[in-house]
Amino acid sequence: MHHVMGVDGSYPLLVALWLLPLVGAIVCWAFGPQLKTLSGWLASAMLGGSFVLAVLSWSAGTQNSGGALGAHQALLSWLPGIDFGLLLDPLSLLWTFIITGVGFLIHFYSMGYMDGDRAYARFFAYMNFFVFAMLTLVLSDNFVGLLVGWGLVGLASYFLIGFWFERPTAVAAARKAFVINVVGDVAIMFAIFAIFLNVRSMAFGDVFAAVGSLGSPLLLTICVALFIGAAAKSAQIPLHTWLPDAMEGPTPVSALIHAATMVTAGVYLIARCAPLWSASHDAQMLAGTIGAVTAIAGAILGCVQWDIKRILAYSTMSQIGYMILGVGVGAYQGGIAHFFTHAFFKAQLFLAAGLIIHALGNEQDVRRMGGLRTKMPFAFWAILTGVLSICGIPGFSGFFSKDQVIYGALAHGHPWIYATSIATAGLTAYYMFRLLFITFLGEYRGNAESHAGASDAHHAHHAPAWIMNLPVGVLVLPTVAIGAALMWGGENSPWARYFAPQFAAVTLPAPPISELVTSAIVFMVVLAGFAVAWSRYATKAAQANAVERLRTEAERIPAVLTNLFYFDAFIDLVFVRTAQLTGTLIARILDPHLIDGAVREVVVVTRTAGAFVRSLETGLVRAYALVLAFGAACFIIYYALVAGGVH
Amino acid sequence: MTIPFTSADWNALVPIAIVAVAALLVLVVDLFVRGYAPRYVSIGIGLIGGIAAGVVVAGQFGHNYNAFFGGFMTGGFTSVFEEIVLLALLGSLILYGAIGTPDRVAGTTALMLWSTCGAMLMAGAANLMTIFLGLELLSLSLYCLCGMVDRKTAREAALKYLILSSTATGFMLYGMALLFGATGSVMLADFVNPALASSALFWMGGGMFLIGLAFKLSLVPFHTWAPDVYEGAPLPVTAFMSVATKAATLAVFARFLYAALPSGAAEKLLLPMWIVAGISMIVGNAGMLAQHDLKRLLAYSGIAQAGYILTAMAGGSALGLRYAMFYLTAYTFMNLGAFAVAAVISNDGEQGSRLTSYEGLAHRRPLLATAMTIFLLALAGLPPTAGFLGKILILSSSVSAGYDWMAALLIAGTAISLYAYGKTIFAMYARPRHEPHDPKPCAPLAWASVVICAVAVIAMTFYPLTPSNILPLVK
Repeated sequence: MHHVMGVDGSYPLLVALWLLPLVGAIVCWAFGPQLKTLSGWLASAMLGGSFVLAVLSWSAGTQNSGGALGAHQALLSWLPGIDFGLLLDPLSLLWTFIITGVGFLIHFYSMGYMDGDRAYARFFAYMNFFVFAMLTLVLSDNFVGLLVGWGLVGLASYFLIGFWFERPTAVAAARKAFVINVVGDVAIMFAIFAIFLNVRSMAFGDVFAAVGSLGSPLLLTICVALFIGAAAKSAQIPLHTWLPDAMEGPTPVSALIHAATMVTAGVYLIARCAPLWSASHDAQMLAGTIGAVTAIAGAILGCVQWDIKRILAYSTMSQIGYMILGVGVGAYQGGIAHFFTHAFFKAQLFLAAGLIIHALGNEQDVRRMGGLRTKMPFAFWAILTGVLSICGIPGFSGFFSKDQVIYGALAHGHPWIYATSIATAGLTAYYMFRLLFITFLGEYRGNAESHAGASDAHHAHHAPAWIMNLPVGVLVLPTVAIGAALMWGGENSPWARYFAPQFAAVTLPAPPISELVTSAIVFMVVLAGFAVAWSRYATKAAQANAVERLRTEAERIPAVLTNLFYFDAFIDLVFVRTAQLTGTLIARILDPHLIDGAVREVVVVTRTAGAFVRSLETGLVRAYALVLAFGAACFIIYYALVAGGVH
Repeated sequence: MTIPFTSADWNALVPIAIVAVAALLVLVVDLFVRGYAPRYVSIGIGLIGGIAAGVVVAGQFGHNYNAFFGGFMTGGFTSVFEEIVLLALLGSLILYGAIGTPDRVAGTTALMLWSTCGAMLMAGAANLMTIFLGLELLSLSLYCLCGMVDRKTAREAALKYLILSSTATGFMLYGMALLFGATGSVMLADFVNPALASSALFWMGGGMFLIGLAFKLSLVPFHTWAPDVYEGAPLPVTAFMSVATKAATLAVFARFLYAALPSGAAEKLLLPMWIVAGISMIVGNAGMLAQHDLKRLLAYSGIAQAGYILTAMAGGSALGLRYAMFYLTAYTFMNLGAFAVAAVISNDGEQGSRLTSYEGLAHRRPLLATAMTIFLLALAGLPPTAGFLGKILILSSSVSAGYDWMAALLIAGTAISLYAYGKTIFAMYARPRHEPHDPKPCAPLAWASVVICAVAVIAMTFYPLTPSNILPLVK
């Protein structure tokens, strides 16, 4: 039995939790010039406040009484069947923790990273607005509210990718992200139409209670529409192309929106709609397959990137593929666990990469890095823990969550997805260690003097280093240990007990390969990936002529990979070109001859009509009285006829 | 002999009495106050009276009282219409305070209060005598109000209004006489008798009665007075007239339609009303296209809006009446808001009504232009405003009542109107051809009413239309 509606009654704290970032956004937006650097503190404080409220809401969000789970706060009854409200249950509570907790650390970090930017306050206004939108998404108790949040996070993402709007590439990337995300929004809207036509209510509780009455084709249709939305937001193939481009935004944006929170909204959507997915085997198959394909494709593309943020972006895409395949096949706890640990280690990786980018004066190409281990030991250790975690080295957080997903795929009867995700784990180890080795080992290959110290010249003043180092340092702890703390112990782990009331327990036949053996296989594959990376980038021979080797490697990358599997070319050909052609057709032929002609006719007709109506307005009372008398006469004749008829 | 007033519930009359007493107070106090103060004293008393009456009406919400032997009834929709009329009073008094001429303040305020009394009486009128009483109280005061400034156009407007309105009232009065002849009663409740459906007198009487209502609603072809009178009358009076007259007349029409028609006769009896409503939606919106004056524009807009509201009532479903009231409330805010913007633009009242003074407004007064955009979008029926939601509701009720052709005319009329509203909005955001003079300081109260109206127009989009919220409005 799925419990989806909160305990009746109100929980006003939830409203405060939800609105605090909005207040911060409005204040930063309206009083930015007055607040100056205070706006960063204010925005961070708002998120800190929200996080504290989320912690205080722990018992309310996890209460389970009388078949109802979590806390509920009604907000507004609108049209019949559409009531807005906030729902805090274990699922939304978890997302709230990440959004506000990791969000707080990234806000704090941004005070250093964005220091000296001329639109400092605007940045924090957007960031707070994003958090508000994301909270709307996850706290909403109905599909319409979810869609509102869904659209607003897309808008916030658009603002933030294009934050440095003087760069044409940033503007193009922002537009691309927005357009692809709107495709997803429209798909969700269709799902909502289909749900409303059949259930006549938008509340999650009502919809999930009615799952049994929806026919299986209809259920599949709804799931597919929802999945298109999830795929667009979570960068799943073939709607993934916007995510690497989105790295044009400032690095904290990449960490918060395009790694930790927004891009996992698709995972949230599927987990939230678990009753729908569990009821449709075809939908599970679809989501699982797309997730697995995305995981391995993202990993392959991650192997051939040179931009440090793009490597991380493809790795994000690949890791979200894991999450989607996890929740897609029905291993909800595993998929969510991977979201949870990923939020920490990927934020950690991005923020640490941001330290490097910031120190090197916005250099992002790893070929012009190298040897940074001695120059930036803190960043090295931070990235190292992140890499160990994302590769799933036993003991680190990523190990627990990734193995849950991989084993879950097998347990739910998808051997191919299982095999694909094991292969992906090996690739992950390869490209992540590749990133680590190229960046930190060997000799520095950039134009050092001009940059390492030159960033001081870029900024008139510097925020103290600890502002950026502290959040990275804090994130090391969960990156390393939160998996062991929460997910150790299988059925009896705190994690399993936390989600036990949320997701229906299913008994599955024991798979042919046990979990322990799976972990061992994965570890072997990871070691293999590490070994390849080591032999190519970390050996003495490799480092001897690193510049030369990296250049030949870049030249030898197959065209299919440098062109990113031709997804962009395909989209350009099929959609962009077609749309442009249609547009040209309409602009050159249809519009001037057909539409304009018709419009001209309408204008002429309405003008004539307007002139006619006006001509009746002579200003003469006797003319007015005549019109009035005419109307009265018509009335009287009509009633005389009717009266004659009834006699 | 005791006066048989025992059945009278004084509660029903308290709100009207408050407004009437406030009017007297204004006149009396004016005798003792000298200097510049009268303006604020008179308007202050008027505002206090209006607010007090509004509070009392709100307290009576859902209570059934009746006075004058059933000639005046509250409960059901009366309270809603009374509140709308009082809103119009407050809005126009504020505008008058912001831009009205300093002389004749007391007289104008008192007349506004009395015409409010008339409109409130109409809102609850349940027999022909009280209907006529209320109508005349409203109209007579309005004739005077139209001519209260020393402008030729104002005098002309007053005279035109008087002559044409009297003609229409003649029809109405004759219709009432015929109805009385057919039924032997002045009570609307007695018209329900099904035997009346075969009485020729009843049909003729009903028809002529409706002519009077159509005139007051300024439905085509009884609309000719509206543009001239709206343009000539002082701006606050136009604002008041555009809302209060419509609300009061709609209340009478609703009472007639929902409580007083013999079964089976309603469809035939009201068909001409639906037809003129349909024509109004087209002609009213088309008439807007060629206008250069905001008040004339809103006059034509009002002609079309009356058609929209009648479309909601077509078919006579209870839901339709609720939707009509929703739209009327929204219309009150958007219309008063648009007039308030005009008042803020100019202190002398009249230049703000010229559409040329809106050119480039967004560059001079961005917030004001935003507010005006909201009002015009609402009048055009675009999201995210109450006008959009209201039109959706109207369409749904008229289609489900079987009046598809009215829904079609509404959509066609809306399409035409987009051009006129869009043109005005475009003018505000386009660069001005000439840089107009500096913005003048404006009354904070007028600003406040702009903001309140804008917020209401947006907020009403999210008005929770659950059955529990809208059911109490009717009966």
